[in-house]
Amino acid sequence: MPGYLFISPAVLLFLIFVALPLLAAFGLSLFHWDLLSTPEFAGLDNFKQLVQDSATIRAVFNTFVFALASVVTHVGIGMLLALGVHRTMTRGTKYFVRTAFFFPFLVSWAAVALLWKYVLDPTFGIAAYYLQSSTNWLASPTWALPTLIVVDWWHTIGYTFIILLAGLQTVPAQLHEAARVDGANAWWRFWSVTLPVMSPTIFFATVITFIGAFQIFDPMVIMTQGGPDGATRSIVQYTYEKGFQSFEVGYAAALSLVLFVVIMVVTGLQFRLSRRWVHQ
Amino acid sequence: MGAPVKGRLLDLVLVLAGLVMIAPLVWLIVTALSEPINAFQLPPQWIPRPPTLQNFQQVPDLIPFAQMAWNSVQIAVITTAGALLTSALAAYAFNRLRFPGRDQIFSVLLAALVVPVQLTVVPIFIMMRWLHLVDTTVAIWLPALVNVFGIFFLRQYISSIPRELDEAAIMDGAGHFWILFRVILPLARPGLTALGIFVFEASWNNFFWPYIFLSSPEKMTLPVGLVSLQGAVGGGPAVVLFAAITLVVLPILVLFLIFQRSFIASIATTGLRA
Repeated sequence: MPGYLFISPAVLLFLIFVALPLLAAFGLSLFHWDLLSTPEFAGLDNFKQLVQDSATIRAVFNTFVFALASVVTHVGIGMLLALGVHRTMTRGTKYFVRTAFFFPFLVSWAAVALLWKYVLDPTFGIAAYYLQSSTNWLASPTWALPTLIVVDWWHTIGYTFIILLAGLQTVPAQLHEAARVDGANAWWRFWSVTLPVMSPTIFFATVITFIGAFQIFDPMVIMTQGGPDGATRSIVQYTYEKGFQSFEVGYAAALSLVLFVVIMVVTGLQFRLSRRWVHQ
Repeated sequence: MGAPVKGRLLDLVLVLAGLVMIAPLVWLIVTALSEPINAFQLPPQWIPRPPTLQNFQQVPDLIPFAQMAWNSVQIAVITTAGALLTSALAAYAFNRLRFPGRDQIFSVLLAALVVPVQLTVVPIFIMMRWLHLVDTTVAIWLPALVNVFGIFFLRQYISSIPRELDEAAIMDGAGHFWILFRVILPLARPGLTALGIFVFEASWNNFFWPYIFLSSPEKMTLPVGLVSLQGAVGGGPAVVLFAAITLVVLPILVLFLIFQRSFIASIATTGLRA
C-alpha cells in the first residue's frame, strides 16, 4: 500500500509530537511533579487549585480582554484600511501604504517588543515626545495592557489587512455596477454587496485573530514580565512560569488545558454564530 | 465634483498613517547608525549625522551574533524543507491514493489543528530532556517537521490539479514517487512557494519554542539571542542593542522588498485557501 508509505513520515511525527504529548498533558495535569522527584498522584487537586488561584483568574481575564480588543481593532481597522487601499490611487501611493502596514508583520516579536520598549520609554522614547506625555505606560497598571494591545496591533495588522484586501478583490465588479445602476449609494453598496461577499473572509480573519490572541506570550515576557502586579500576565505566560520557572509541571499542564478548552469553546461558538451572518 | 478632492484627501490620510506606522522602524535604523552621544536626542533625529557603523561592530562583543544567525538559518531551512516534504507526501496520499482508513486518519490530523503548541510543550520538554536534546537545535526543528496545516493546504492545492495528468503518467508505467515529484509538485509550485515562505517566516521569527528549549548563547536563535542581549546591555549602550535589532530586521526588509509579491501572495493564499 503506497498510501501508508507516503503518510508514514507525517503520521509518525504526528504521533510522537502531537498525539502523545496531548495525552500526556491530560495525564500530567493529574499529578504533582517538579521534574526531579517522583511524580505524586494528585487527582483533581491542580484543577481545584486553579479555580482558587487569583493569579489564574487574572491571567484568564487579561487574555480575554486582550483577545477581544485584538479582534475588534484588527478586523475593524483592517477593514477600513483594506477599503481605503482598494480604490483608484497612484501606484506609488498604493505600494507605500501597503508596504508600510504589512511589513511590521514580518519582523519577529523579539525585535518588535525590544524596539517598542524604547519607543515607549517615558524619558527618551519617540512616543513620549510626540504625544507630549511622561506617562510610563508599561509600568502603569491601567495602561500596560492597552499599550500591549496597541503594540500587538502595530505588529500584526498587516496580516489581517492583507487577508481582508485579498477578500475585497474577490468581490465581482459587476455586482457593484448593478447596484450603482439601481441607484444604491456607496454605503448601501458596501452593506448589501461588499459585506455579504466578504463575510467568509471576515469570519476567517476573526477566528484566526482570536486563536492567535489567546496564545499571546512574547510581548508580555519581553516587555512587562506580566507586570505591573500581574496586570499583563497572559494564560500562556502563567503556564510558562509554572512549568519552567517554578517547576509545577502538573499545574502547568492543567493551565494549558484551560487554554485549550477556552480556544475550543470560543471557536466552536464562533462557528455556530457564523451560520447567522456568513454567506456560503 | 467633490469626489476627486475627497479621494486625494483620503490618500493623504493613508500616507500619513503609513508614515506613522514605519516611524519606529526608521527611528531604529537611524539610532543604530548614530554615534552613541548623538543617539536618543529629543526632538528625535530622523537622519543620522554623521552616520557610523561603530555600533554594529560592537554587537559581536556582547553576543555570538554570527553563530545565532547561523542557528536561525539552519533551523528555518531544515524545518521548511522537512515540513514541505512530509506534507507533500501525505497530501498526495490523502488526495490521490486509496487505502483503508484514509479519511479517518485525515480527520484525526485535521482535528489536531486546534491543539495549541502551548499544550504539548510541557510533555515535549520532558521527552527532550529524557533524550538529552534540551539546549540543542534538534529540539527546535524535529517537532516542526510535521505541519498539519501544510498537509491540509497542499491537499487542497493538489486536488485542483487535473487527475488526467497522473493517469497519463500511470499509463506510461510511472510510479507514485515519480508522479508526485515530476508531475504534481512542479504544477503545485505556487502552493509550495506560498507554504514555504509561510513556514520559513514562522520558524525564523519563532520566540516561544526556542526561548523554552535553548539556554546557551551559542545555541540560541536570533530572536532569543536579541532578548538575551537586552539583559547583557544593562546600563550600557542601548545603541548596540539597536544595531543588533537592525541586523535582524534589515535582511527581512531587503528580502521583502525584492519578493514582495510572493510574500503577500503567501499570506493571501494560505489564508484564503484554508
